[in-house]
Amino acid sequence: MQTEQGEHEPSSLLWGLDPVLSSFAKLYVKDILRMRESSQIPVDDGTGVINCLCWKDEKWRENTDAVNSGATLQVSNKGGFNPVEQLKKLKLAQKLSAQLEIGDLLRVRGSVKTSREQREIMACSYYKVNDPVMEVQISWMMEVLHLYRDFYDKPFLFTKSVQHLDTAEGDDLLRSLSVLRRASRLLMSFIREKGLGSFRPKDVQHLLMPLLSCAPSCSTTQQESTVAQSSSKQVHHLFRDVIKALQDEGLVFRKVISQDEVYQVTEQDKELRRVTKDIVREDSGREKYAEKGCHVLHILSCVRQTYSRNVSKSVIEMVLRCLERDSEIFSTIDQNHYKYISVTD
Amino acid sequence: MLPEPGVFHFPWEISSVQEGAAVRTYGRLRDLIASIRNPEVSEAVLSSQHLSVQYDITVHTAFVEPFLPSLHSHYIVLGDVERTEGDGVMVRARVLNCVDGINLALLQQAIVEQRRYLQERDEHASHLKIY
Repeated sequence: MQTEQGEHEPSSLLWGLDPVLSSFAKLYVKDILRMRESSQIPVDDGTGVINCLCWKDEKWRENTDAVNSGATLQVSNKGGFNPVEQLKKLKLAQKLSAQLEIGDLLRVRGSVKTSREQREIMACSYYKVNDPVMEVQISWMMEVLHLYRDFYDKPFLFTKSVQHLDTAEGDDLLRSLSVLRRASRLLMSFIREKGLGSFRPKDVQHLLMPLLSCAPSCSTTQQESTVAQSSSKQVHHLFRDVIKALQDEGLVFRKVISQDEVYQVTEQDKELRRVTKDIVREDSGREKYAEKGCHVLHILSCVRQTYSRNVSKSVIEMVLRCLERDSEIFSTIDQNHYKYISVTD
Repeated sequence: MLPEPGVFHFPWEISSVQEGAAVRTYGRLRDLIASIRNPEVSEAVLSSQHLSVQYDITVHTAFVEPFLPSLHSHYIVLGDVERTEGDGVMVRARVLNCVDGINLALLQQAIVEQRRYLQERDEHASHLKIY
């Protein structure tokens, strides 16, 4: 029933599993007197009174004697930081903050439990608060009031995308998001494995076939028309969604918009990296950018003029992050400004 | 059985609080007088000014003895209201803390705001019950 002193006690979350806990156990008085002490501390905040269960460790009692006898700490003559002494001071402070008397101001954190039809707080932490001029209590009163007004009393507004999550439509949405994520990861890992610098849809579309079985069911309005939809069409649709997502993230881009649908892999595009690096290097030397560095939009505009009009901001950000990771450039005032790392820096 | 919460009251409201209710209130320690009934127990008088009127609250300090009195300092008392002979009102203190240096105006504002909020909430709740 009782753990021996020093033995690790199971978490309070598991106590309910022990049937003895909720029964009126028949104990020897001798054992009751030796039991680990829990204090039932009624706490009053001016709006109500609730019991807080604050468990006091037996170890405190042992430490108390040791600490009390050496309560006047001797100042170390050696000076500097003495860990043993500091630890003693810490333990003393912890012990004092847990010694409670009527009238003490407490901060209690814990979970609400109902025990024998009474609400209680099972404290996971509690400590005395030093508040000589009631500053803490007054600001607590004002703070709690504003919390209620600004947050607790307002109904939580789920974002639109999440609002219908517990409908069948919502289920579909969740499933299609997860399929999209998996498809993106599948494509990118294939591309990286093969070290592809560029690819066409037909090179990679087949990879998405296994994911079709996980795709969400069509909505009822479309059901009749898509009954005969071939799997290749489904793959095609999925590919369209995935490639758009990868473009939005800047992982791939189309250098030239033409009949020939070729996608460049940003990380592998050496030409783009070289052009970007040159732009940052040249402009870093100019007085205009010497102090703050080049803004990412300026770099983007130069790249668009010299390399390709179709490079997006997310693509250039990816390139800049790679250059920074490889210590060729560094960000200056924020993540939007970069400078070239020259030998003299 | 848990005690009732000590609800904040302004010193000028104490006389209208019912017998036995738990209150929190405040005042400056003006006097310490030995009780006529029991010379060993003293009573403290907490004094406040409101709209040019002085309000005195007698605080029975048996439960909080010994306490080191600091005359003219601000004190917060948490205790139970008792009626005395005549029209007297007394608070039997369970907690008596010196809070000298307290920003009284801020405390008053906090009490007023809290009351207003709790009242609005109760009114709103009772409206919902009706409809």
